[in-house]
Amino acid sequence: MSHNPLRLLLDFDDRIQRDRDQAPAFLHRRDRRFALDCQQRGQSPDAALWLEQMERLSGPGNARQAGRAVQQRWRRINGGFAAAGAVFGVLTMAGLLFYDGGQRINVTVIIAFVLLQLLLALATTVQSLAGWQPWSWLQRRLQAQPPGTTLAQLQPALMARAAHTGGSLFALTGLLTLLVMLVVQDLAFGWSTTLNTAAQSYHSLIHAIANPWSWLWPAAEPSRELVEATRFFRASPGSTGTDPVQWGQWWPFVVMLWLTWVLLPRLLLLALSQWLLARKAERLLQRHPGMQALMYRMETPTLDTGNQHNDADDLPDTRTRARPGQLQDSQYIICWAGAGEPELPQALLAQDSRVLKAGGRASLAEDDGVLESLAEQLAGERAPSVVLVTRSWEPPTGELHDFLEQARARWPDGTTLTILPLAPDANREPAEHLVQPWLRFTERLPAGFANVALLPALPDNPYHTGSTA
Amino acid sequence: MMNQKPVFAVVGHPNKGKSSVVATLSQNDAIAIALEPGTTRAGQAYPLTVDGQELYTLVDTPGFQRPRRVLQWLEAHSLSASDHPETVRAFVLQHRGDDRFVDECELLAPITEGAGIIYVVDGSVPYSTEHEAEMTILRWTGRPSLALINSIGDDDYSDTWQSALGQFFQVVRKFDAVRAPFEQHLSLLRAFGQLEPDWEQPLEQATHLLSEQRRQRRQQAAQLIARALEDLMSWQEKRTLTLDQIAGTSDATLAETLRERWYQRQRKREQTLRVSIEHLYQHQRIQRQEAELEWASQHDLFSEDTRQHWAVSKKYLAGAGFGAGAVGGAGLDALTLGSSLGAGALIGGVLGAAGSYFYGDRLVLPALNIGPIKDGLKTASFGPVQDSQFGYVVLGRAVDHWWHISHRNHAGRDLLELEPADHHWLEQLDKASRREIQKAFDRCRKQRSLSHSQRQDLASAIEQAMAVYDDWRLNRA
Repeated sequence: MSHNPLRLLLDFDDRIQRDRDQAPAFLHRRDRRFALDCQQRGQSPDAALWLEQMERLSGPGNARQAGRAVQQRWRRINGGFAAAGAVFGVLTMAGLLFYDGGQRINVTVIIAFVLLQLLLALATTVQSLAGWQPWSWLQRRLQAQPPGTTLAQLQPALMARAAHTGGSLFALTGLLTLLVMLVVQDLAFGWSTTLNTAAQSYHSLIHAIANPWSWLWPAAEPSRELVEATRFFRASPGSTGTDPVQWGQWWPFVVMLWLTWVLLPRLLLLALSQWLLARKAERLLQRHPGMQALMYRMETPTLDTGNQHNDADDLPDTRTRARPGQLQDSQYIICWAGAGEPELPQALLAQDSRVLKAGGRASLAEDDGVLESLAEQLAGERAPSVVLVTRSWEPPTGELHDFLEQARARWPDGTTLTILPLAPDANREPAEHLVQPWLRFTERLPAGFANVALLPALPDNPYHTGSTA
Repeated sequence: MMNQKPVFAVVGHPNKGKSSVVATLSQNDAIAIALEPGTTRAGQAYPLTVDGQELYTLVDTPGFQRPRRVLQWLEAHSLSASDHPETVRAFVLQHRGDDRFVDECELLAPITEGAGIIYVVDGSVPYSTEHEAEMTILRWTGRPSLALINSIGDDDYSDTWQSALGQFFQVVRKFDAVRAPFEQHLSLLRAFGQLEPDWEQPLEQATHLLSEQRRQRRQQAAQLIARALEDLMSWQEKRTLTLDQIAGTSDATLAETLRERWYQRQRKREQTLRVSIEHLYQHQRIQRQEAELEWASQHDLFSEDTRQHWAVSKKYLAGAGFGAGAVGGAGLDALTLGSSLGAGALIGGVLGAAGSYFYGDRLVLPALNIGPIKDGLKTASFGPVQDSQFGYVVLGRAVDHWWHISHRNHAGRDLLELEPADHHWLEQLDKASRREIQKAFDRCRKQRSLSHSQRQDLASAIEQAMAVYDDWRLNRA
């Protein structure tokens, strides 16, 4: 795709506008990927390649091409200016050369008109360079929607180009009309002015004007004799007695005057405006904030921190119907994995109870020993029961589960187990969220075997009251 | 093993916050975290990739369930210290598919394959020696290891933990997965890199890229806020009415309806901004609570009465702006307001007030505009908002939200509450930035679009405001 800078800029601008709502992370991934692909192919990624890729990926039939639409609109505007210029060129030249055989055609008028044309052409360029838009009201009226900020910055240059296109056509058709008129009619040129000007000074003026071409076509610079012979005064028509051929000898000068001071400057300025437009478009593209962002995205590696995995909805069922009950009196207390260290709560020590240690630092063989000795002692009990003290903040593990399953197998049938989770401060009640896992744990054990209890609340807890007093 | 990318297995006792640590470091708020042992049932890898190339991987694992039984097996199958790592590998091989050791196999497998060990404990509960079995198993693997003291509850026993863990682990670090600031994430990752010489470079690269990403996000957040401000400040609610409809409704009712719709749209736009900021920081599941965007009726932006007052009295305008801005959380411009309002008024002062004070003369564009009849239809339009304080309120709220989001770790699961606050922070913003913001607001309310460079200026002014807010927060804390 051969992009001209203007089209490239406008397409790029449009693409960036469309990307505005995309997530930054997505854009980064997309453009970094493109840059890496380019690198692999040995290309250095730029806006044109990038756009090409975007368009290729969106597939054929993509109607939205901002650049093309703008280009077409300006092509139409240029065409309109060119047509108008061509028509006006013919009309103007026909008017300038109007000659009914009575009066001479005044070269001074033609020079003045050429000067005006030259000034207009220069003014157009200066105004576009300065960014001034005297005709913007007209544009606002003609355009359905205001131009984007990027296009708005290009409007002066675009408008200057259109104006110069029209001007060039104007000059060209003017020149052609002049040549046709020269062929099909006899034209009598003379010079005239109200000012008291000597032929000498008028000749100097003519000489200065003809300077650019006098070396090329000496005949196109009127001689002093011709200047002296062709001055006329409207008040005394035909009084000088000049040879009629001499009136016609001005034509090479008029042709070169038009060619050099109207057509040529217009063409040069048209070329200049075209170049300025391209340069401005390139600059705008380079300075486009979207371009800087794109470059950044292409140069910076994308970082994925590992956030694809999603199991947030895969939470365990934390509902439980079990509620903590009251602590039953029991002679046998097992401290699991260091619970109750350094000291068991007073409520448990009050009775004459047997305290055993299992889990944690104890070996598995010691655990076995605990189970075995309890099995023997519980065999004689009427309502065998055991209290298992745990640390509420160390959640139940598989090891405890194994231990209790073995216990259930070895202990007499009907033995009940009360799990007592302790808070770090053993005489306080543990936080509710720490008790919940224990409740759920008992539900996973065979029904009726184990339940959770909490220490009796105040004021039945003498140790507690004592310690807070 | 030499060219393998570093892998870190995050292991520990159940329910000590392994998943929280992984969620925060991988910026993933979609990892299941619950106060229930066994929430993590299988090892899950979270690779950090750069352009699709892996730099390192974090593996979240289930907690130890039967460490003593594992240790017993290991001890029974080992002759000397030199065969410890191999024995652990043998254990994993032999017990794959064994229901009792699913969790142990899941957590030991990555370690036997070369992963570094990140052992997580909860520093908010007392240390106990009961964890020694699992620490011993980890030591048997012979892999480089680091212990992390996470903090789930409010109590702090981290000092005893620190000295105890030092006997088992090369490095011991404190790291609060929910509250640790971003710099600590980076420093922790660097510590991971110190575990083995080969790991230093990738981790160094990762931290560099992460901090670069964070800087970039801040910029992008400013751009998002700037865009939203532009939208909100220039929004015009339009409605086309037939002649019958016009005859049937009074201007007041029409204005009321349009105003209501205007607010709805503005609130929706603000919500869109919230979500895009959250997504920018990879927060996909935040539950947020904040006061709705609204305007106290005595400072109604569109009331003809209020505006007339404002056009007449600059002092009143500054006063009105003052009140509204204080609610919204903008700051004080003491230089311009101090003399006109007196010391008492400085308490909750507002930059917005300064804006309205200066631009008050120009607040004369009517909010409700009923156009001429065209093809039997009339167009009634409402807005854009003529008071730039509205913009400051939105800005204050947006920056506040951004700050909370950018400082929120992905392990956080609690409700994000944005409380309206009485802030002074905007007073620290430099003059040039204030001017840029005010200039953009003015253009918007005149419905002139901003040029690229103006947009950029606004975004960098907002970024500046964000930096100021950040400072203010840090100094306050």
